[in-house]
Parts: sequence; C-alpha cells; structure tokens
Amino acid sequence: MTLIRIIKFAFQNIARNVWLSVITVSMLVMTLLTVNILLTLNVLANTAVESVEERIDVTVYFKDGTNPDLVAGAQASLIGLSQVRDAVRIAPEEALARFRARHEDDEAILSALDEVGENPFSYSLVVSARDASDFPTILSALENPSFAEFIEQKDFEDYEEVIGSISRVTQSVRWLGAVLAAVFLFISILIVINTVRVAIYIYREEISIMRLVGASSAFIRTPFWLEAVIYSLVATFITAGIAYPVLVSLERYADTFFYPANAGVLDFYLANGLLIFGLEFLILAVVNILSASLAMRRYLKV
Amino acid sequence: MCAHWRKLRVREARAASSWHASGAPDIVGVRGINLHVEPGEFISIVGQSGTGKSTLAKLLFAEERPSKGQIVIGGWDISNIRPREVPLLRRQIGVVFQDFKLLQKKTVFENTAFALEVAGVRPSRIREIVPQVLRIVGLDDKLHRYPLQLSGGERQRAAIARSLVHRPKILVADEPTGNLDAINAREIIDLLKKINSFGTTVVLVTHNREIVNGLRQRVVMLSNGEVASDVEHGRYKLA
Repeated sequence: MTLIRIIKFAFQNIARNVWLSVITVSMLVMTLLTVNILLTLNVLANTAVESVEERIDVTVYFKDGTNPDLVAGAQASLIGLSQVRDAVRIAPEEALARFRARHEDDEAILSALDEVGENPFSYSLVVSARDASDFPTILSALENPSFAEFIEQKDFEDYEEVIGSISRVTQSVRWLGAVLAAVFLFISILIVINTVRVAIYIYREEISIMRLVGASSAFIRTPFWLEAVIYSLVATFITAGIAYPVLVSLERYADTFFYPANAGVLDFYLANGLLIFGLEFLILAVVNILSASLAMRRYLKV
Repeated sequence: MCAHWRKLRVREARAASSWHASGAPDIVGVRGINLHVEPGEFISIVGQSGTGKSTLAKLLFAEERPSKGQIVIGGWDISNIRPREVPLLRRQIGVVFQDFKLLQKKTVFENTAFALEVAGVRPSRIREIVPQVLRIVGLDDKLHRYPLQLSGGERQRAAIARSLVHRPKILVADEPTGNLDAINAREIIDLLKKINSFGTTVVLVTHNREIVNGLRQRVVMLSNGEVASDVEHGRYKLA
C-alpha cells in the first residue's frame, strides 16, 4: 500500500511540474542520443575499416607468355606466407572476360579491344593481405628470384594510409562526441537537481505536514528518487523510439556506401538493443538518483 | 500503549529557541524546566510571547532537541531521539497549531486521511477511522469541503481530527485558538476538553488569559524560558 502511495506521489511531482519534467526528459534524451550517435559512429567506423581491409590486395601482372606452371608456383609460394589471406590466379581468358563485362557499356573501349585483335591480357595473381601492415612483407616476397624476372607490373594502393585516415577521423569524432556527451550529462545532472529542488519547494507545505503526522524519511524521499528513475525510463524509451526509424534510414544509405558489404548498424542494434538501452537506462537512473539525493541533501530537511 | 504512555516528564530541559541563528550568541528558549505531567492531565502552558512556550511544545514532539536535560514520554527518553524514531513518536503525539497546517487542495476527509496514508494504513481502515474521528470533532457533515470552504473554527477542528487519527496518548495544542474569534475559540477548547475526557493528556500552549482562567486546570507559567509558577487549578495572572 505504501509503495502505491509513493508511486502516486512521484507521479504527482511530475504532473505538478509538467514543463520542468518535459525539459528534464528532453535534456536526458539529448544525452542518450549523443551516446547512441557515438555508438553508431563506432559501428560504421569498424565496418569501414573491415571493408577497406578486405580490399587490401596486390595485383601482380606477369609478362606475356609466362609459363602457367611458373605462375602456379608463385601462387603456391605466396599462399604459404602467413601474411597472405589468399592469392587468386587469373588466366588471360578470364581477365579478358572480366574486362569486357566491366566495360560492357563502353563502346569505345570494346571497339579498341576488337582493334587489337588478340587477347592483350597475361596471367595475373590477385594477392590479398590479412592486414594493411603486411604489405611490405608481401612486396618483398614478390622479389623472389625464381619468378621476379617474369613480373611485369605490381599494382597496389597504400591502404594503410586510407585506414589510418579513417581511424584518425573516427578518433577525433569519438573524442568530440564523448566531450559532447559529458557536457550533456553534466547539464542533465544540474537540471535534475533543479527539478527536484523545485519539486521540494512546491511540496514544502505537504512535506512539513508529512513530517508532522509521522511520515518516515524514506516515505518523503522515495517519491523524489522514483521521479528520477521515471525520467530516466521515459528518456530511454523516447531515445529508442527516435533511434529506430533513424537507424533504418541510415542503414539504407550506409548500405549503398558500403556495397556489397552491409553497414551493420541496424543489425548491431537489433542484436544488442536491449543490452544497450538497458545499460543506458541503468547508468542514467543511477546518475539521476545521485543527483536527486544531492538536491534532497541540500534542500530537504527531514 | 498503556496508560503510562500518557505520562510526560521534562527534567532540567534546556533548548535554544527555534529562531536561534547560527553564529549568534546562544539564545535560550527554555532552561532548567522541570515538569511532570500525569496521564490524562489537561495542562496549560502560559506566558507572554517569547517566553519559550512554543520551544517547550516543540521539545515534546522532537521538533527541537534539548541541549541539556531530559524529555521522557511514557518512559521513552526522547532527548537524543534518533531521526528514524521521530515518525514513531509523532504517531503517538497529536499536534495542533495556530495556523491549522491543512493542505488547501485536499478535502477535510483527505486532510484527515493523509496522516494515516503516510503511515501506510490500509484504505479500508482509513475509510473506517476518518469518519469516526470527524464525528468526534463535529465535521461529519463536511467531509468533502476544502479548507477554504470552512470557517476558522472548522479548520481547526479538521486539524484536530487529523491529529487524532492515530489515537494519540498526548495532544499538544500550540496556540490553537490564536486565529479564532471568541466563540470559535470556546468551541475548540470544549473539543479539547472532550478529547481529554477520553483519557488523552492535553498540553495547551496559549497566551489567552480568558481561556486559561475558564479551564480551571493546571497552569504552568513560563517567564524568560523558566517555570515561573506551576499551579493545580490555576489562573493566568499577568506579571
């Protein structure tokens, strides 16, 4: 029975300060949204790095007329390296077919190819590395005297630099986001303290009568703690409500960007949403309970 | 609670008055007070403004703590009462003030029930107790009126009803007639006498001479925070 009355008093507190409650919840939503933007950014950054890492490869073009057995030997030698994820051998016919498929809409290139008459492609090896930092080892392996003289060209990009750039930008945005989240959290704490302070002021007469007629300190204080928990719960639900449609739209755009890979943000939230929002609610509730306690310690004399 | 709970003893009590400002010289509200009140007594604490009457009343329901001495209520020494025990004490002592202290947004019934609600009493029990108490104070026909719809005397009756819901053994009335005209004041005093006749110890704090003299009960007169006189069937004489 006492619990029901405490809950009733907590909701009365919220209803009597409806605008203050709206401001408090809005600020908490801002804090949670910032935290979730940070999380989303983290997922996107990881996807971007993985996507780039998957594209790390060196294409080795062999000279015309190179013996296919020598190419196969080079392939086997490279696959034997721990730094090499895969080495795919592409025959001249396959290279030509791929080229034609890639430029099927480009009449000029296709007619130029027909002009040449014969297959201009030679054997090639597409060597993918496990990590961007493995490049130097792979490149030095290609200097192997048994096949180095048959290599016409090595085509690679400095993916390490690309990954480094992604990491640097992500890191900066993460820092900025963390600072922003901390600022919002600090403002939220101040707002919760002020909300409880105002509630105590509005309730001062009722509180003094409660004390007079024998209400326990816990009975007087608990509605304010409960109020802080209710604010946290409402803010978490609103944030989740805002986050879901935003994530669905974002996923659509991000998927196009990362094609053929999946951006994975929505999947991440669908798999971990309960844990993420549950943790956010818990942390927010604890922070708000502490803020309310601080306000009561300062302004509530019971 | 047995009868001795209605007994009240104040021994060598000393306390600063409630308006004692921190950092200011120690302004003594009461000092060296010795009082022994028997169960079922009706005692009037009188004296001019600032003589420590309200401080003494506050000592009884632990709103103030004595800096020296002892306050014993029914064998319970409340001189150093722990904060978590104060609610238990206040459920045993009814308190009535000059300014009624009623919640304006609650009806007479709700104001009276409030004291039971905060103590965790079941609604069915509240619905049983509140009408009984309101019948005793003569407000059983005004259950759903708000304080602003009541006269001063009726408001004080509502406040008395609220103080009675826990069936207190002691009722402390601090200037209960201070805001009332002579007729309403008389009615409130009659109500306090009626409550006293049920066996409740009544401590009336007042500076109203006519009321005290009309009571012909024990009168304790305070002067400068000390007991100036303590007379059985006494009168309030101006110093």
